Amino acid sequence: MPALETLPGLRIVASPEALDAAPWSAGTVVLRFAPDDAFAIGATAVDIADDHAIVAEESGFVGRWLTREELDDRLVTHIEWPLPTALPALAQGLIAGVPAKLWLTTDRVLLLCAAAYAAELADRLG
Amino acid sequence: MSGDGRIVLDGRPIPYRSGDSVAVAVMRAGEHPQHGGTVCLAGDCGNCVAEVDGIAYTRTCQTPARPGLVVQRHPAAGAPPLRAARQIDVTTAPPAGRIPVQRIEADLVVIGAGESGTAAATNARGQGRSVTLLDARDGEEVVGIYAGPTVIVRTPKGMAHIHARDVVVATGAAELHPVCPGNGLIGLVTARAAEQLHTAGVDLGVSVAIGSPPSGVPCTPVGGSLRRIEGVGRVSAVVTVDDDGEGERTTACETVIVGLGRAARTVLWRMADDLPVTVVGPAAQSFPLPEAPTAGTVCPCSRVDVDDLVGVWERGFQDLELLKRAALVGIGTCQGSACLPHLRAFIAERSTAIPEPFTARPASRQITIAEAAAGVHVDAFRRTALHDEHVALGAQMDRFGGWWRPWHYGDHVAEYWAVREGVSLGDVSTLGKLVVSGPDAVEFLERLYPTGVGDIRVGRSRYALLLNDGGHLIDDGMILREAETRFVLTFTSAGAGHAEMWVRDWAETWGLRVHLLDRTMSLAAINVTGPLAGRLLERVGLPSPPRFLQHVHAEVCGVPCHVMRLSFTGEVSFELHHAVDRSVELWRALMAAGRDLGIAPHGLQALQGLRLEKGHVIVGMDSELDSTPRRLGMEWAVKMDKPDFVGRTALARTAGLPDPRRLVGLTMPGSAPTEGSPIWSDRQIVGHVSSSFASPLLGHAVMLGWLKRTPFPDEVMVDGRSAVAVAPPFYDPEGGRARA
Amino acid sequence: MNEFVERRLTLRWQQAKRAYDVVIVGGGGHGLATAYYLAARHGITNVAVVEAGYIGAGNSGRNTTIIRANYGIPEAVRFYQHSLELYQTLEDELDCWMMYTTKGIIWLAHTETAMRAERARSLLNLACGAETVMLTPQEVKALCPQLDLSGGGRYPVLGASYHPAAATARHDRVVWAYAQGAMRLGVHVLQHTRVTGLLRDGARVTGVETSAGPISAGQVLSAVGGNVSTLAAYADVRLPIRTHPLQAFVTNDYEQAFQPILSDTELLCYVSQTERGQMLIGAEFDAQPSYSLKSSFSFLQSSAAKAMHLLPFLRNLRVLRQWTGICDISADFSPILGETGVEGFLVTTGWGTWGFKAIPAGGELMAELIASGRTPPLLEPFRLDRFASDQTMADPGSTGTH
Repeated sequence: MPALETLPGLRIVASPEALDAAPWSAGTVVLRFAPDDAFAIGATAVDIADDHAIVAEESGFVGRWLTREELDDRLVTHIEWPLPTALPALAQGLIAGVPAKLWLTTDRVLLLCAAAYAAELADRLG
Repeated sequence: MSGDGRIVLDGRPIPYRSGDSVAVAVMRAGEHPQHGGTVCLAGDCGNCVAEVDGIAYTRTCQTPARPGLVVQRHPAAGAPPLRAARQIDVTTAPPAGRIPVQRIEADLVVIGAGESGTAAATNARGQGRSVTLLDARDGEEVVGIYAGPTVIVRTPKGMAHIHARDVVVATGAAELHPVCPGNGLIGLVTARAAEQLHTAGVDLGVSVAIGSPPSGVPCTPVGGSLRRIEGVGRVSAVVTVDDDGEGERTTACETVIVGLGRAARTVLWRMADDLPVTVVGPAAQSFPLPEAPTAGTVCPCSRVDVDDLVGVWERGFQDLELLKRAALVGIGTCQGSACLPHLRAFIAERSTAIPEPFTARPASRQITIAEAAAGVHVDAFRRTALHDEHVALGAQMDRFGGWWRPWHYGDHVAEYWAVREGVSLGDVSTLGKLVVSGPDAVEFLERLYPTGVGDIRVGRSRYALLLNDGGHLIDDGMILREAETRFVLTFTSAGAGHAEMWVRDWAETWGLRVHLLDRTMSLAAINVTGPLAGRLLERVGLPSPPRFLQHVHAEVCGVPCHVMRLSFTGEVSFELHHAVDRSVELWRALMAAGRDLGIAPHGLQALQGLRLEKGHVIVGMDSELDSTPRRLGMEWAVKMDKPDFVGRTALARTAGLPDPRRLVGLTMPGSAPTEGSPIWSDRQIVGHVSSSFASPLLGHAVMLGWLKRTPFPDEVMVDGRSAVAVAPPFYDPEGGRARA
Repeated sequence: MNEFVERRLTLRWQQAKRAYDVVIVGGGGHGLATAYYLAARHGITNVAVVEAGYIGAGNSGRNTTIIRANYGIPEAVRFYQHSLELYQTLEDELDCWMMYTTKGIIWLAHTETAMRAERARSLLNLACGAETVMLTPQEVKALCPQLDLSGGGRYPVLGASYHPAAATARHDRVVWAYAQGAMRLGVHVLQHTRVTGLLRDGARVTGVETSAGPISAGQVLSAVGGNVSTLAAYADVRLPIRTHPLQAFVTNDYEQAFQPILSDTELLCYVSQTERGQMLIGAEFDAQPSYSLKSSFSFLQSSAAKAMHLLPFLRNLRVLRQWTGICDISADFSPILGETGVEGFLVTTGWGTWGFKAIPAGGELMAELIASGRTPPLLEPFRLDRFASDQTMADPGSTGTH
């Protein structure tokens, strides 16, 4: 398994409505960890209609894009929960016993986890 | 499995034919897979279990023969050996990872591919449902049905974990085993087993059939009912009686084929009576119980005779469960499959009702511990961004609060002096860090913390306790105000996970308008500490570092940092919180810039001594589950005149109660006693030492310890030596060094 | 011929009377032991033990049979040491073979924090009369040759505390032996009699309402496990108790080759070999409170994985059976014993995952309290009113495992 690379971006905690309405530049992958919590990969700035929003540069996640085939061949055996079928979708849970997330689209999949777990996840995925 | 070959039985090669199970191959060789007892070849009983390829208690009738397979019979008396498998090679993946696990989602799982199971599967498929049909004849053995429902299956390819909406149990019925004297001899087979053996071309010798005869198997039917079986080691004759119990008749034979009726295979649905499980076919039928047994082995797995049952019953164990436990019946390898009908008949004859079967529990079919563990991983440990730096510097890494942390770098005393006299770096990335922002942020934190929050000025910070509803300390840390409505909270490394949940729970409970963002794993933190810390920071871009308890955002060595001036070590300290991906760069730059100042990193071991000289409490180490601020001597950190905060009610209620518990400072000459040492007074244990340290600077031992008896003595005995109570801090009591 | 079939104990059942001096609810180890000691030590024989199912059906028959005294606070060490000493002579006192076997328990430490905790435990134990010593990894290996000191490369053993007096005994036989002892002295044990309420005279409890009708009593002791909150509620007593499942599993029988009890406070699992040769593996109680007796696969999976890290030879052993008990866990992880503030109603509860080892002392001391009306010194720290006075008995280092 190739190394997991830092995924720089912006982390935004704001009201769900403000996050829904945020104008992301085209192509930005925005992962909604929770209704009030988003991780915009690659983003450097955003206009959020919430005076109290927390907007922070985020470099605490590492990840790697996989093909759907790599997902099926390498990862699925380490996942004890059903993968979402309506795509795109964010899935969060243990992968090989490590807290991790998957961003699933029809043609590719982003595997990501906290940098603190990167070594453990890489070890376990082999 | 194609073709003929040889397996090894007790060290001797024996041939098998294509399609043979191990049991059939063994019987083809004229042997018994165990040392006697009825063979059913249906996986029901434990009479054919043996050690197969190092795994004891393998049902040989369910194991296909293959070349070179090694079969070792269990000892005739006693249990199989406990073999110490070779040590696991620690350089490879955990052993559980080696057994494949297939995870299957299905609308319906049908267990049993006989007539009724196949019909249920076909029917469901016709309705468009996804169906997994499990066939024991293909080696798909169901271990158990668990909540979900989840069906755990051992297959020839590994384990399968099947998550289903519904389960159909179509496991059919098992043939009854005979219970009579001589039923442990070699040469007893059930009718269906006889058919299987005959089809496989195994010569059964002179055979007689009792009860329903097998079809197509040459044998002599014998009327009447079974009284006993005779022989030495092997069957030589069968003795039957008329239906009225008279007229004993002996028939010489080599094999007794028994067709005594059937009993539903109920183990799986008894295990899952609270789950969406349907039973179909013979498994759902009610079969008549056999005659109550009068003699012979009733439970072959545990080698229990009817006499044992009678003895136990007569001593008052007159309940199926008590009988089971006292006579140890029904709890062996077959989990009662062979004996349960006979047990029920035994009790029914002696009481007014037929007892319900006892509870069934997994494993219905057995798996090894490695197979059970397949697919699971133990806890994941976290590494800070500086992990490899520490290792390169020779650190002994230790786990603390789920993180790997440097315990020391070879010489914790030298690390101590670097902090006290020079400048040192500590990796405090593991501290919890939570951003709170919102119009109700002040209100929220005022309710959450016992300390005042609204009066913390922007750019300032305050140490705070976190209490639970009982007024007991659960964590501590800093509250840093970044703006009118925005704060950063820090928590201890070990407590951060719980503290974050705690804070979120209260935010939701109160419904206040706050946003929360956990930055624990996004921000690394380096503590720059020591009398020369300020000088070092001047060199690397911070000419006027913040004053004590102030904090600023600034670039250090070109890395954007949130610089927090505080002190846990007792010396000038700056915590530099920064992005994890810049941490190695910052660490190296600081180490390089401080080289001429003698900079050195310090590990947790040195830190625990440093903070102890200052009397700082480590939550969970010095504090206990029920430590109130009063007990910790930290009432100064509680503002009881606030209208409310978590724990206030409890603190107000207990304030007037007597409280013989205090955490106190103690000192004594010489070495530090072991942490945990009892504290004695008047030859009574009055408490224990929670932390201790032989202070290199003070030249004596300093301690925090619990006293749990009043009046609190000023002088106590620890480790056979006299110690005196001293109010901490032991070092720099005015705190001038940290504020310098 | 199975040498472990019960061949000595005899149980004599009686018809229920309408009234007793003492009614004990719960025919497990604590209830029966209390009844036995009431009769044997205090001559109080007009006693009934009322059991909803069969005796020992609850946690007394579902635990992992470990007897030890290596607790983390003086009050607990003294109490459990007393219990252990009672156990050591119990086979003689009760005229039975309980399969009591001294094995010694090893508590492994994999981190500096754990080493610190085990050192503290051993010092405290020694000071309070229970022998616990520290072992080096090599000493651990000598006591348990099957142990992988690298912990599967993940949990290296830095050392351990060792409590040589730790033992196991057959749980059912402890229950039956107390039942036999109590029955011989005239105590009535009423099986399949479910308590459905309490008889009250004003606030005072005067008996029990059962599925077989009311039974009046001078004093009622709740010795139930699992459903104590329900029973206490009948007396308007609210207990700081949550009930959690606790699971375990055994393998098939193997020849005797694993001598000690091996326990691990980080992995939260423990392993021993029963007298019948089964390897017995247990873990901490389930985090989610529940009254369910159903076993979970995730428990089997995770405890199997943990145990294999320490004892690689386990991998090829076959799992025979897993089961579940339900434990009453108090707010400070220590038991709650004695008066409740409601006249005529006492409790022995909060036995969490450590009730089996406490049966002799719990029974003996509760009997003394019932007979004399005075709380014996060893019970004093475990009174219910400690929660109101904030004098709780938190013993976190001894929680979680057995």
